[in-house]
Amino acid sequence: MSTAGTAQQTTQEQHVGYYVYGIVPSDVELTEDARGIEDRDIQLIRHGDIAAMVSEISIRAAIGRPEDLAAHERLLDATAPEAPVLPFRFGSVMADADAVTEHLLEPNHDTFTAALKELEGRTEYIVKGRYDEKAILEEVLAENEEAAGLRSQIRGKDEITTRDLRMELGEIIHEALDAKRTSDTNELAEAISDHAVAHSVLAPTHEYDATHLAFLVETARRESFEKCVDDVARERQGRINFRLLGPLAPYDFVVTQR
Amino acid sequence: MTTAIQPASGGGGGLDRPSPTGLADVIDTILDKGLVIDAYVRVSLVGIEVLTIDARVVVASVDTYLRFAEAVNRLDLTETETGGVPELIDDMREGGSKSKTKGAAQGVLEAAGEKMRDFTGDRDESKKSAARRKRRDEEE
Repeated sequence: MSTAGTAQQTTQEQHVGYYVYGIVPSDVELTEDARGIEDRDIQLIRHGDIAAMVSEISIRAAIGRPEDLAAHERLLDATAPEAPVLPFRFGSVMADADAVTEHLLEPNHDTFTAALKELEGRTEYIVKGRYDEKAILEEVLAENEEAAGLRSQIRGKDEITTRDLRMELGEIIHEALDAKRTSDTNELAEAISDHAVAHSVLAPTHEYDATHLAFLVETARRESFEKCVDDVARERQGRINFRLLGPLAPYDFVVTQR
Repeated sequence: MTTAIQPASGGGGGLDRPSPTGLADVIDTILDKGLVIDAYVRVSLVGIEVLTIDARVVVASVDTYLRFAEAVNRLDLTETETGGVPELIDDMREGGSKSKTKGAAQGVLEAAGEKMRDFTGDRDESKKSAARRKRRDEEE
């Protein structure tokens, strides 16, 4: 019976949504091994000059596991060096393919197109620097007489009687690290930004963070950028340990304006 | 013990290029970022918006201060190996329960990170190409 078929379809529609990873130019072609969350095939829903990268997802699926986050990032990062991509926030799901076209691609066609044009041939890198604990504490103690004084007052005494002194010492170190973080971040941004189109200072994620910077880099200049970061890292070896993430999708250079 | 402060990898070179990214990196990189679907009215590049570093993550707290002081104390211990033992024992007695919780929490985080690394082991393969430009192919 035909009604049975329709009913089944309706049920299916209610359970399947479209997970949106990002927007790419419509001339993008996916490679066969492109996979998304739950290892699903990636589809492109095209409209004019743009296309949404989506995959079907069970509406009832509880996403948010580490592998889901990794799948989201993996697809976007794999796309970024090949084609400009506007990354969507993790967990963006729309009801069906029509909704993607009607409510996402159609009304935003021109702004998405313009943003993609700005991102053409550009990818993001993240530079993370973390102070070597021993090196940075010794530096602070050498520069700050008050801290050095507190240190010798505390030395060898028990924790309870020295609690106030230790609090005081800790506060001085915290403030000193804050100041160092700001000046090191500025210094590093300046040293590297010549090799990038733009940069953005990200919030520190750890109390010993020396720097957390995102750079938008021309694909053609990736090599010189990476070399510059490498040089910068070498110069500060022993004091700051650096990590370079990328090329990535431009997570830190695309924003939604309300 | 509380070795909460360790660079993710203390490689010999100046720069560490982790190819399989750990969970912490994935979270830092993508969470709360990207376009929001219910407010996609307008989109634009941030451009050079330099945000001031706020104390969102690095919150000054009693715990932070005491941890810094503890780290300074550890410097002392490594410098003067002798006579450090009684202090160590004191440390363990005083902060025993506290450091245990911290250690456990950190253990979980690290375990998750390890799992992530395993999981993303094949990341590079799939990373090579998820997409291709038609236009570019035609030009070449």
